[in-house]
Amino acid sequence: MVESAKPIPSTWCPGCGDFGALAALKKAMAELKIPPHEAVLVGGIGCSGGIHNFLEINGLHALHGRLLAQAVGVKLANPKLNVVAIGGDGDGYAIGMGHFMHAFKKNASILYVVMMNETYGLTKGQAAPTAPLGYEGNIERPFDAILAALSQPQPNFVARTFSGDPKTLTKVLVEALEFNRANRGFAFVEDLSPCVTYNDTFKEWREKVLDVSTLPGYDASDRAVMFRLCLETMDKGRIPIGVMHRPREVSTEAESLELKLLPDRIGPAVTPIDLEGNLPTYQKLLAAAG
Amino acid sequence: MTTPATQVPSTVREVGPSDTPPVKELADLSVLIGGQGGDGTLTVSDLLARYFRKRGLYVYTSRNVLSRIRGGHADSSVRASRDAISAIKPTVDILVAFDKEALEFGRPELEADGLVLYDSSVFQTDLPATFGFPFATLAGSQLGQPIYKNVAAYGVLSVMLGFDPALTRSVIEERFKRRGGEALEKNLKALEIGRKAALEHAEPMHRFTVVDGTAHDLRLMTGNQAVALGFVVGGGRFFAGYPITPATEIMEYLQRYLPSVHGVVRQAEDELAAINMVIGAAYAGARSMTSTSGPGLSLMTEGIGHAGAAEVPIVVADCQRVGPSTGEPTRHEQSDVAHLAHIGHGDFPRFLIAPGTVDDCFYLTVDALNLAEKWRLPVILVLDQALCQNSSTVPGFDLSQVHLDRGKRLEAEAVATRPSYKYYELTPDGASPYALPGTPGVTSQVTGNEHDEYGHVSVNPVNRVKMMRKRMEKLIHAQSDLPLSRTFGDPAAKIGFIGFGSTTGPIREAQDRLQTRGVSTRFFQARTLFPVPARELSAFLEPLDHAYVVEHNYAGQFAGLIREAMPSYHARLRSILKYDGLPFRAAEIVKAVEGGTDGRVG
Repeated sequence: MVESAKPIPSTWCPGCGDFGALAALKKAMAELKIPPHEAVLVGGIGCSGGIHNFLEINGLHALHGRLLAQAVGVKLANPKLNVVAIGGDGDGYAIGMGHFMHAFKKNASILYVVMMNETYGLTKGQAAPTAPLGYEGNIERPFDAILAALSQPQPNFVARTFSGDPKTLTKVLVEALEFNRANRGFAFVEDLSPCVTYNDTFKEWREKVLDVSTLPGYDASDRAVMFRLCLETMDKGRIPIGVMHRPREVSTEAESLELKLLPDRIGPAVTPIDLEGNLPTYQKLLAAAG
Repeated sequence: MTTPATQVPSTVREVGPSDTPPVKELADLSVLIGGQGGDGTLTVSDLLARYFRKRGLYVYTSRNVLSRIRGGHADSSVRASRDAISAIKPTVDILVAFDKEALEFGRPELEADGLVLYDSSVFQTDLPATFGFPFATLAGSQLGQPIYKNVAAYGVLSVMLGFDPALTRSVIEERFKRRGGEALEKNLKALEIGRKAALEHAEPMHRFTVVDGTAHDLRLMTGNQAVALGFVVGGGRFFAGYPITPATEIMEYLQRYLPSVHGVVRQAEDELAAINMVIGAAYAGARSMTSTSGPGLSLMTEGIGHAGAAEVPIVVADCQRVGPSTGEPTRHEQSDVAHLAHIGHGDFPRFLIAPGTVDDCFYLTVDALNLAEKWRLPVILVLDQALCQNSSTVPGFDLSQVHLDRGKRLEAEAVATRPSYKYYELTPDGASPYALPGTPGVTSQVTGNEHDEYGHVSVNPVNRVKMMRKRMEKLIHAQSDLPLSRTFGDPAAKIGFIGFGSTTGPIREAQDRLQTRGVSTRFFQARTLFPVPARELSAFLEPLDHAYVVEHNYAGQFAGLIREAMPSYHARLRSILKYDGLPFRAAEIVKAVEGGTDGRVG
């Protein structure tokens, strides 16, 4: 056995919602029998972004807000890797917003988990883009990532989960990873993961969450229905959770970015670059140039 | 390029019977084509360039040559010579003016016996040596679209310069075959319209003729295309970029080339995404690059620092343009050099590699990919607008000169025999052995946080010092790996030039001119800008009285870097600086040297 990077003890506060996500991710990977060396966890900046240190996996710790760009780069370089990006809501919806919306457009088969806690915990509790009115003097209206996702023409797999319900979280992560492994495209999971130090919403959220799949008319393949169900739930002061979108079948439009570029799933990272093997192609290329 | 003493450039040799007007045989010809944007001046220079190349001549084309430009004026030039050249000719032999502004702007550049073709359907002039042809009316009345006036002008030029008709036509076919159909047909008709108009005129035909050159199998291409080709041949397989002048063509060429070698090109949503996609792909093991220019480079700065700290091998091609801010997007400058040498917050190693000619662009892109992967750091290809977008003839690239060096790459079998695998393993030269993510049995942690050998975050002061030294000392250990400079001219000279990038051509031409005036010079073409090649530079500077650092910026940025690295040579360095947005002409460098002091041109 070659000794290599091993998990280290977590630096999170006791009781942090992120522990739920960490446990669920470990279970989901075990259930799908994904070996650690075949998975890459791209972490953002913030408390949640350190998660790659706390389990056995390849970790790529990205710049603040740039984890999705790096994750797409990894996936396109080697589509055979399972790529999971995990960061906070400040990382994803503030500094990284551009890449978040473009991730739906790009549709690479990566899983993006946002640990949503409405606050910047690591810098001691400033308002995140999701913070409700009044939190730390916040006077801007909170951003809603699920509504943004559902507004896209092809949101593919979209879900909201709650760290206080690790069983459902595990189930959703398994489904999302399977979606990716079938090269069906982008999967987005927003996990409500309270910050026990700066915004302890465990009790409040436990009372407020409402699984939309229990509502009459629930149909995760219909964006309009799901948009309406979410708005109605929010109007009642509840927080909609559950699988929010899941395409009924793979359509040509939904074909993932990596399959469009690399139908045989052999990526640039593993394709031979030696001169000898490529000589006929290079000679042809040079003969036609200039 | 250096001209043998027996051969005088721009020869004036009169041929033909004495009772007919003398025909001037040109061995170094330049044509300037000016008009409004959309007049198709670039097409004319491109067609001429293709024709001259087929005649075995060396060619250099340039866009936006004139400095007295306002409004929608656009121009381009083509130079053809029996000698290898990589600069525009200081004077113009033939000016093609599609409007009056083009005539006014271009005329001062004209040789004493130069002449002007102008569009008489747009304006009239009775200045000497001007000849009117109604290009727009001819094209409009016979083809329904005046837009073909540019190719009609090419037709007139072809008769005037005694071009071979079949070869003239084949150039059009070559240029428009991709678009095919109507475009090709109408352009061929436009050529005939121009030829017919010319044949009906006695003047100004047969004043000039173009000699044949001896250079065969030359390719005509821009630096951007050569970078793209070098990237593919150098094993580059992933590219992400964002459109920006003058770098975009690198992405466009790669969109064409990379799919055939299992490579991937993505146009990202912004430069932040581009650099980070490149980091992700490079981490996964693909040789990866992005290209950009000043504003995009500023946005990529954080990513470049991240690659330096996290030790992810990336290549960034910086096609410099006029800065700061949006500056002049289409114009030429070399003013990112100081920024690149110091780019990013904190200390981290980076190499700045600077090709000086189009073929250098090809080979040094291969080197940049090797250096990045071997030394696990960001490598920046320092390019400039003139090098990127002007085209010149280059010999076919020699694949036997291309070698790939993947450094301490570990395949799965090699990893399995090791006691441990650590992404940041401390080694004597600072470069750690690396395996691709996906290698069975091992995982790694890669981060821009300070970290221990395993990649776990660490703020331990002892570890910090070790890791800083591991990274920074790559600058010392890699030195013998970096591209060497080239020197030209008289080894006994007392006056030197130091330059890089596209100034290489004008400096070498200035050397020739100074030599004919009895001034010997020596030229150091820097191909590694950072770390400053101090050992090579001190050997170069030692026998000199002084050396001019020739560069396109206000502050003398490269001179500053040299002074910083080699303070004892401070007094020996002078600067010749140009920052008006246009490339140096040899005459400007000659003039500055003859002035004898620090010179700002323009």
